[in-house]
Amino acid sequence: MTEPVDSAPTASAQDNAPAQPPSQPATENPPSQQNLPIRDAKTAKDKGPAQSDKQPAKGKDAPAPAAGTESGAAAGGDKPLTPAELKKKAKADKAARRAKEKIERDGGAGAAGGPASGAGQARPPATPRKDVAPGGAAQKGPKAPLLRRGSHGGGSAAVEQKKKKEDKSVAVFGHLYGQQRRTTVAGAGKEVHAAVLALGLQLRDYVVCGSSARCVATMLAFKRVVESYTTPLGTSLPRHLTTHLSHQITYLSTCRPLSISQGNAIRALKLAIADIDPSTPESAAKNTLCEFIDSFIREKITVADQVIAESAAQKIQDGDVIVTFAGSSIVKQTLLQAHHDGKQFRVSIIDSRPLFEGKNLARALANAGLDVQYSLVHGISHAIKDATKVFLGAHAMTSNGRLYSRVGTALVAMSAKERAGGVEVPVIVCCETVKFTDRVALDSIVVNEIADADELVSANAAQQVTGLPDPAAFTAPPIDPKKPKGGKSASSAPTPDPVSSERVPSPSPLASWKDTHNLQLLNLMYDATPAEYVDMVITELGSLPPSAVPIVHRMSTNM
Amino acid sequence: MPSTALALTPGLSSFLKSLKTNPIDTSIENLVSLLKRRQIRHSRSCATATAYLLLRVVSACRTSESTKLIERVQSVGRRLMAAQPREMVVGNIVRRVLGLIRDEAEDDREAEFALSEAGSESQPQTPRAFDDASMPLDRDMLGMRSDGGDRSSRPPLTSMFSLLSHPEPENSLPSTPGSQSPNARLFSHGHTKDVRAEVLEGINEIIDELGQVDDQIAAYALDHIHSNEIILTHTSSTTVQKFLLKAAAKRKFTVIIAESFPNNHEATHATVSGNIVGDDENLSFDSFQKPLIAHGITVILIPDSAVFALMSRVNKVILGTHSVLANGGLVAAAGTRVIARAAKVHQTPVVVVSGVYKLSPVYPFDFDSLIEYGDASKVLPFEDGDLVDKIDVQNPIYDYVPAELVDLYITNLGGHAPSYLYRIVSDHYRKEDISF
Repeated sequence: MTEPVDSAPTASAQDNAPAQPPSQPATENPPSQQNLPIRDAKTAKDKGPAQSDKQPAKGKDAPAPAAGTESGAAAGGDKPLTPAELKKKAKADKAARRAKEKIERDGGAGAAGGPASGAGQARPPATPRKDVAPGGAAQKGPKAPLLRRGSHGGGSAAVEQKKKKEDKSVAVFGHLYGQQRRTTVAGAGKEVHAAVLALGLQLRDYVVCGSSARCVATMLAFKRVVESYTTPLGTSLPRHLTTHLSHQITYLSTCRPLSISQGNAIRALKLAIADIDPSTPESAAKNTLCEFIDSFIREKITVADQVIAESAAQKIQDGDVIVTFAGSSIVKQTLLQAHHDGKQFRVSIIDSRPLFEGKNLARALANAGLDVQYSLVHGISHAIKDATKVFLGAHAMTSNGRLYSRVGTALVAMSAKERAGGVEVPVIVCCETVKFTDRVALDSIVVNEIADADELVSANAAQQVTGLPDPAAFTAPPIDPKKPKGGKSASSAPTPDPVSSERVPSPSPLASWKDTHNLQLLNLMYDATPAEYVDMVITELGSLPPSAVPIVHRMSTNM
Repeated sequence: MPSTALALTPGLSSFLKSLKTNPIDTSIENLVSLLKRRQIRHSRSCATATAYLLLRVVSACRTSESTKLIERVQSVGRRLMAAQPREMVVGNIVRRVLGLIRDEAEDDREAEFALSEAGSESQPQTPRAFDDASMPLDRDMLGMRSDGGDRSSRPPLTSMFSLLSHPEPENSLPSTPGSQSPNARLFSHGHTKDVRAEVLEGINEIIDELGQVDDQIAAYALDHIHSNEIILTHTSSTTVQKFLLKAAAKRKFTVIIAESFPNNHEATHATVSGNIVGDDENLSFDSFQKPLIAHGITVILIPDSAVFALMSRVNKVILGTHSVLANGGLVAAAGTRVIARAAKVHQTPVVVVSGVYKLSPVYPFDFDSLIEYGDASKVLPFEDGDLVDKIDVQNPIYDYVPAELVDLYITNLGGHAPSYLYRIVSDHYRKEDISF
């Protein structure tokens, strides 16, 4: 991906003069003119994270070979140009145009935050040719160096801004950058229920966080949807409710990608809806569904958690040192249960940026009177040194036995398994079967979730917990100085005293990272822990090795 | 005490500034307190401060008797080491200076031996202008006498030394400026220089080495980084940054930086984005160049927790370190160990870049004693005071990384396997100084 960037300056240097003549025919000759978009689209596609600095150079690079091939075709193959070839060319053009449109649309969607880019590029799909041809000509012509020099200002600001926005997706994870997460309820369909609207925002802000919690909250919201649902005339409830629900689901997934547990729950709910006899009266059907939801939550989560906590607590012995990562609700329940049972043990919580979920766990455990030690990811090797057991929560268990959990879990499990010169520490995963999935994952890259990278910008730990839902404030540097002070008092706000100016720089180096070329921030949500690091998975159906996940999953879905 | 005397914030630069004016004992106290309070923290700053202080100590020590010089340096060294036992660089520099003095003393003895046979004696040259002109003569007399006495008692021992042990280090390190050039100069200039001048020159060379070490290491960058590589690193180590920058001048690759959250993330963020905000002592004395991103290198900043997730795509892990132990193990910023471990699991080579001055002759027996714990409020800020009361918050600053997790060391002398480090140790430090 970097090669063209390398070659661009040299190519442009050579081709500046020769590129001039072919540029004139380009405007009158349709094929060559259409060649341009092809190249353009291709370069744009190849280099998702292309810097806008190099953009003019690339634009210049592109027409040169295009013109070359075009002139070659004109010289050698113009006369024997068959209709078939013409057709092929036309098809290619069309494909290219389509690709370009798609890219522009994606770009517009991705850059929803920046209205300028949308305005600048909204029209091209309608008239791609007109838009590109002059641009291409301008880049080829004597204006090109000018553009390059003033690459930061320039007339093509809109284009550049769009490029910059695209820039920020890490290439390896390109497939994971979907549309940007929804920031408001604006634009949500009118059929989306108010409870779902609220839940969506809560999910997005990590107010409802954790696989089980998200699952329960979703089911409860859907229960309210079902309760307030009335079948429109001319359809039956089993047919229409599914589509009605799918609107809600789509909305939820724009707020935050659905978790495995949510997916499993929704699948079960849809099955339940499909099972309803169309002749059942509406109120009876709704009652059945509500009961189904209640029993699903009870069986799959609430009772399951109790069962797991009880059996996991039995694994804890007096004098144990339990290491856990981040804040899993089921691990919390387990530890509290063990404490309740009168076991004497110590807990070491490892936490990570940016969510600091372990803090809440630490608070809960400390309030319950447990002996808690707290450190961050950098202290893993110290925390694991005197550990006797590792308890982990799960986001999901994949069919190949991998544990898919909050990013950093794999590091903890690995450290437990590879303690230098010591006995291996058993790694125990607590996981409800509703989190089992038939998907497989070899690494953490193919399946993952990417959170807003702005969450990484603020370095202040306290803000992370309380002020998370306001990424807009972090992107705008001028607001920053007030931000950390906001919680304290109004007295410090008017005077930018030395203390504040000293504290402010900490978030500032990254504050403008979106405008910094070549700099990317990556905020992954999950990672996949290899199955060999997991000794035991405790589920409500019993304690299993990770290899038993697909079997249990099949059993539980066939029921 | 140091901060009251100076308007500057205490640190390396203020220390060096005050070194010229303050009396020796004050300077020693000054450095001791700086070390104790961790106002000097980076290994190179510590090394530089120690070297400059020893330069002052040696130049103020009005004796040319090597034993007295050694005693003086040892006593100062002991105080510095006691001030911050985990800062091994200080001990390393002291040991190297001691080694210098011993080398010079031995050479001198040999020279005396040879000269007395030849019967020729020339005026001692003092290239460095020392305050008094009368000194050289006295010193020479003293040296003569003491050496004479020495010679009568143990000439065979000296010659045995020179027969067996001495020639080896000379041959085996042709490229260390610190240890090679004094000998070379000695042979070319004749054997008449006094010990102290030679030692001072040697210390100056150590200081020069400290200044150049990053660039020397960076010179090997192109041997290790190829195009389109994905490199993972940790913290904002200047050595690593320079290494990568050197390669960035010629090649395009991708750098993933783990931010090393509580202890070094601010510096890492600043390094990554190129806007250096805090005037860190680390950055003040080397002209920091353009950041990597300005060279067209894609830099991806990740939280430390994402290391395992990304490791499968990483081609190489390049790490800086705090100090290197003689067994090839590392004492590096906390979090390094899991990164190295994750790299090992993914069969990714781990390269450690470190100046030779960080190489310590200490064999670690008690790993925990090497680890320093830092400010817990960085992990859990005081806003969570209720929580801080109830739980035990830990913020380790260093990690011990065992040698088997490291594939390659790149020092200013070149690349070495971890198992070879003991050899470099024996080249740089004399056995008698290892525990002084």
